[in-house]
Amino acid sequence: MNHEPYDTLAATYAVGALDGQERLDFERHLADGCDVCEATLRESAEALASLARSRPPMIPPPAVKEELMRRLAATTPARRDGARPQPRRLVWAVGTVAAVVAAAAFTGTFVATRYEAQLGVMARESAALRERVEKEEQALREQVAVYRNAADLLRDPQAQVVTLRGLGPSPEATGRVIWHPTGGGYVFVANLPAAPPGKAYEMWTIGDAAPQPAGLFQVDASGRGAHRIAPVEGGKPVKVFAITLETEAGVPQPQGPMVLASAK
Amino acid sequence: MATIGADLVRQMAAGDREAFAVFYDRYAPVVFPLILRIVRERADASDVLQEVFWEAWRDAPAYDATRGSAEAWMVTRARTRAIDRIRATRRRGETFVAPLDDGVAAAPRESAPDAAERAADRGTVMTALDRLPEAQREVIELAYYAGLTQTEIAERLKQPLGTVKTRIRLGLERLREVVKASS
Repeated sequence: MNHEPYDTLAATYAVGALDGQERLDFERHLADGCDVCEATLRESAEALASLARSRPPMIPPPAVKEELMRRLAATTPARRDGARPQPRRLVWAVGTVAAVVAAAAFTGTFVATRYEAQLGVMARESAALRERVEKEEQALREQVAVYRNAADLLRDPQAQVVTLRGLGPSPEATGRVIWHPTGGGYVFVANLPAAPPGKAYEMWTIGDAAPQPAGLFQVDASGRGAHRIAPVEGGKPVKVFAITLETEAGVPQPQGPMVLASAK
Repeated sequence: MATIGADLVRQMAAGDREAFAVFYDRYAPVVFPLILRIVRERADASDVLQEVFWEAWRDAPAYDATRGSAEAWMVTRARTRAIDRIRATRRRGETFVAPLDDGVAAAPRESAPDAAERAADRGTVMTALDRLPEAQREVIELAYYAGLTQTEIAERLKQPLGTVKTRIRLGLERLREVVKASS
């Protein structure tokens, strides 16, 4: 089924505002396992965390930390620090036994240490490999999600396909927008040169009013890119789709050169 | 290099109190202003802060670094507990005034001040939130900082529920983009 409605539910859930039956439905959807929604929630939590970090830090009253450390000490056994005092004789006995065992095991330990070091290297290497595979898998999954949603959108009789033509700086560039009047859409571009460092492509939807920013995206090494375009507020009609080159943080109004646009 | 947050949580899970002290010193100054902004009273904020870190110590073994950063883990907890606190206050029927600063509850203005102006008014740095269109910023603040649900926001702003939802979604999408671009 179309995933679209869940994108909105996920955003509302991420800011803690989802209520009623919709909340129950969404939690069931999450429990069934949805990578797209999980990624949305994860990214939203990181964005909100980074928002918290961007405000000036504030040192809380010292009493809070003191109380916490006291509670910790009172309720949890110290597992690393603060070894309990032992009777002297026992310490001596333990020491002697340990020395004997250590001497006997020296050769074995030496060999074992080398293997352990090797095992450590292998473990680190496989962890790094796994991390890379997971990242690639994640990227692929996101890509598949985009294509799947776009295909779903195309089945909708209300969806339309709009052609974008390359302009001035990139006459070779081509683009297609799959657009749904209320559901938003996707743009797919090809033959677009990679944006210079610090820059990104910004999508615009233009109706009767000023151009509305519709997100930033980059293209891959082969000049291809796909980008989700959020629905226009209130479902207002879009007359022109355009793409400009802007700073990577994006701008509220187009400033950079227009690289692709649909015919009026 | 400083120990990353996820490692500190792992050490906490193993019962390392030193790691907890470092963890507290790193994240308390980040979450405390957030809690204070939500609950408003310094004494309440201190209580919530303590609760949040106590739970972090308790739940450290359940933390999964693949599901998000330690920072996001703490910020999410802090926001949830702070909202729980103000909702409990509201249920008890105590006077509760939703945050009025930032022009959140004000009627839509004739002309929205630009982001830098708003930040200057508040005497704070400009954040990613200030880069959102006014209507989107407003709904996100009402949800995230005032703890209103979508239905409550729709009532308060006298807007259709669908509009509120779309604004939240667009605002959050933009916020993610701005944050991603600046990181």
